[in-house]
Amino acid sequence: MSKRSAFSVVGIFESPQLLMNAIPGIKAKVTARLEAYTPYPIEGIDRLLGLRKSPIGGMVLVMGIIGAIAGLSFELWTSGVDYPLRTAGKPYFSWEAFIPVMFEVTVLFATFTAGLGMLLLLNRLPLFRHPMLRSKALPLVTRDKFALAVEAGAGELDPEAVAKMLQESGAESVEVIEMPAPAGPLSPVFFFNAFAALAVSCVLAGLLTYWATKLFPILPPMVHMLDQPRLDPQRADSFFTDGFGMRMPVPETVTHDSVPYTIRSQDYAGSLVNPMPRSESVLHRGRQAYTNYCAVCHGVLGNGSPSLTAAYGAKPANLVSQKFIDLPDGKIYHVIMAGKNAMPSYAADIVESDRWAAIHYVRVLQRAMNAKDEDIPK
Amino acid sequence: MNSDVAVLPESGLPEGLRQPPVLIGEIRPGGVDDQVLSHVFEKPPKAWFIAFACTSAALLIGLAMIGYTLAVGIGAWGNNMPVAWAFAIINFVFWVGIGHAGTLISAILLLFRARWRNAISRFSEAMTIFAVMCAGIFPLIHVGRPWLAFFLFPYPNQRGIWPNFRSPLIWDVVAVSTYFSVSLLFWYLGLMPDLASLRDRTRTKTRKLVYSVLALGWRGAASHWQHYERAYLIIAGLATGLVLSVHSVVSFDFAVSLLPGWHMTIFPPYFVTGAIFAGFAMVVMALVVVRSTMHLENLITEYHLEVMNKVILTCSCLMGYAYLLEGFTAWYSMNSYVHHTFMQYIAGTYRWAGWTTITCNILIPQLLWSRWFRRHYAGMIFVAVAVTIGMWFERFVIIVSSLHQDFLPSAWHIYRPTIVDYGILLGSFGLFFTLVLLFARVLPVIATTEMKMVLPGSQPHHQGRGHE
Repeated sequence: MSKRSAFSVVGIFESPQLLMNAIPGIKAKVTARLEAYTPYPIEGIDRLLGLRKSPIGGMVLVMGIIGAIAGLSFELWTSGVDYPLRTAGKPYFSWEAFIPVMFEVTVLFATFTAGLGMLLLLNRLPLFRHPMLRSKALPLVTRDKFALAVEAGAGELDPEAVAKMLQESGAESVEVIEMPAPAGPLSPVFFFNAFAALAVSCVLAGLLTYWATKLFPILPPMVHMLDQPRLDPQRADSFFTDGFGMRMPVPETVTHDSVPYTIRSQDYAGSLVNPMPRSESVLHRGRQAYTNYCAVCHGVLGNGSPSLTAAYGAKPANLVSQKFIDLPDGKIYHVIMAGKNAMPSYAADIVESDRWAAIHYVRVLQRAMNAKDEDIPK
Repeated sequence: MNSDVAVLPESGLPEGLRQPPVLIGEIRPGGVDDQVLSHVFEKPPKAWFIAFACTSAALLIGLAMIGYTLAVGIGAWGNNMPVAWAFAIINFVFWVGIGHAGTLISAILLLFRARWRNAISRFSEAMTIFAVMCAGIFPLIHVGRPWLAFFLFPYPNQRGIWPNFRSPLIWDVVAVSTYFSVSLLFWYLGLMPDLASLRDRTRTKTRKLVYSVLALGWRGAASHWQHYERAYLIIAGLATGLVLSVHSVVSFDFAVSLLPGWHMTIFPPYFVTGAIFAGFAMVVMALVVVRSTMHLENLITEYHLEVMNKVILTCSCLMGYAYLLEGFTAWYSMNSYVHHTFMQYIAGTYRWAGWTTITCNILIPQLLWSRWFRRHYAGMIFVAVAVTIGMWFERFVIIVSSLHQDFLPSAWHIYRPTIVDYGILLGSFGLFFTLVLLFARVLPVIATTEMKMVLPGSQPHHQGRGHE
């Protein structure tokens, strides 16, 4: 036997009944911690060993409630506050539609609390340095034997006395497990290898990223779906006797909740007056509408987005150029309503007040992007 | 608290109520290890390599077709307006459905304390994971540019926009990804004690390292089992609610829209039942192969197969009810569009698909009333294959038949899948069975720990019952 002291003494038992019979006797005789190792859970053994009730149920309940609140409030905030999106005529805080996602988030929080909480917090796994993992007893336990370990913990253990005690209680064999050797310092070779591996993977990742950023923006867009035969709006079709593919709307009707926009040409739109005041709250609203809908093509700064030009050949207007500084609000409003060139109409997406607010915000961008020395506060 | 795993004392029950034995012959706990784990260490038989060659070839065809799709765009597929959802969504719903049987067996039957589940839970859970992986591919490639699929998730971005949480499509993303992560966690937790067993049994160094890391240093301590069991039971309870929600949410993709043929309140229970139905058929098919080639007849008994076939029969009757109710809804709605769409199912262009569905899902499974079909490989495989075909065509009917005749008659369009569509479908089967074959070689196909729990004499106060 080596000089190191014993970590635990393990007795191997043939059946769960023998193990259960042995526990009370050993428990009465030693003050050290008792632990049983079994191939599957044994009913009632936790009471014999004096283990307290598992707190996992409470943890799961708390985290499940947190998950429900987090899920629902995130949906309410995104859909009602940060990005108020009107769909299907539903109110912004249409909580009924948020229930499915809230439920899934609740389940996600609760299950991962149960699983990872059990593993990491309660069982302290993964743990590869436990002395039991190097014992001869464990392979027997994971097969079909039952082990009872008297663990030294902080105190001292008399291996021979405990071994004798275990044998008298019915253990078929006994193994003394030594205290693990203190962990040595990590070798310089390990550090060198780890550092080299890290450096090589950084270089590789960098090269891949460089290649990807160079390649993806210039990939031609997929136009396969545009090329195939299909019925486009305004196209002829032999199905109807008048030869048109589309049907006209029912005469003298308008879409529910819409105000007809009757101006046909941008030239006549110049006289429209922006009804929104230039207040701070309107400008905030305008920035939000601009960021949500316009910035993806015209750029966050309003100067057009070159990446779109590269990929699609489309050239969004530079809203901060002199041409647009001189353009009246009404003519910009007309383009939002009716679209221009490659730009479709945004009338269905942006509500009336937000259209005008966004135009105010474009004026802010124009001023900021063409700032003069006088604009700097003294 | 450990009554969760209690084997119900049956000695007091009258003869007719006792469960038949879930094992054949005298099996010791160590014997379970020897029998199940030995397959992991042995060189696979020749049949395995032939099967693997076939499935991986199918997988490669699928990958090539996906590559082609990515290169030229999804115009390579047959879907076009008004049938914008075709093979991709059919296959997605089909595979998600297959997965549901695994969670049902592992979670719901655990809560019901059905002892027969222990022998087949591991295998069917693995099938869940693989089926959901197959399912996930389809929406991913259907978006056309899968490298931008992260748009589906809520993440802070420069445009200040968020997903529309009122849309069933985003519910679907959340539900299916939650389902996959929870199933994976549940499967892994169940696997951990078995991995520890493998770790202690294996000889070669590499395998030892891999299994050691995967087992996370599990040592079977009583204080660990106590938390483990509690957590496992709680996850099973949560997974039960989850599995019912997932296919309900998948059905919302259809039911929440206002399209005739889709907008029906029966859809969530109808989809969940269909999912369990298709999933059990797939489990029966794969299990028959595993049972006979790996010689597990004593652990997976005829009783197991019979019980599963009874579940299939029950689901088939429920499906029949759902189909009848679809017809009833169409008639009772007095809506000519709904009526027209329903007539399309049974008398329209795709009536062959409609009648295939009814024959394979309702008529053929009725054979399972006969004990011979429930107990013989030929009979049950015949029914299981029919159900798999039938359930695939059911989704075809729901999606293609309902869509191909739009409100606008000039837009009506007959859908024809292309060779690329078929190739990707074949590839998904290839992926699924390749993963199943790999799984059968590197991990125990039967949850040995759970099997040891149901052996006679496994618990102290049952000493003397059974073979002792």
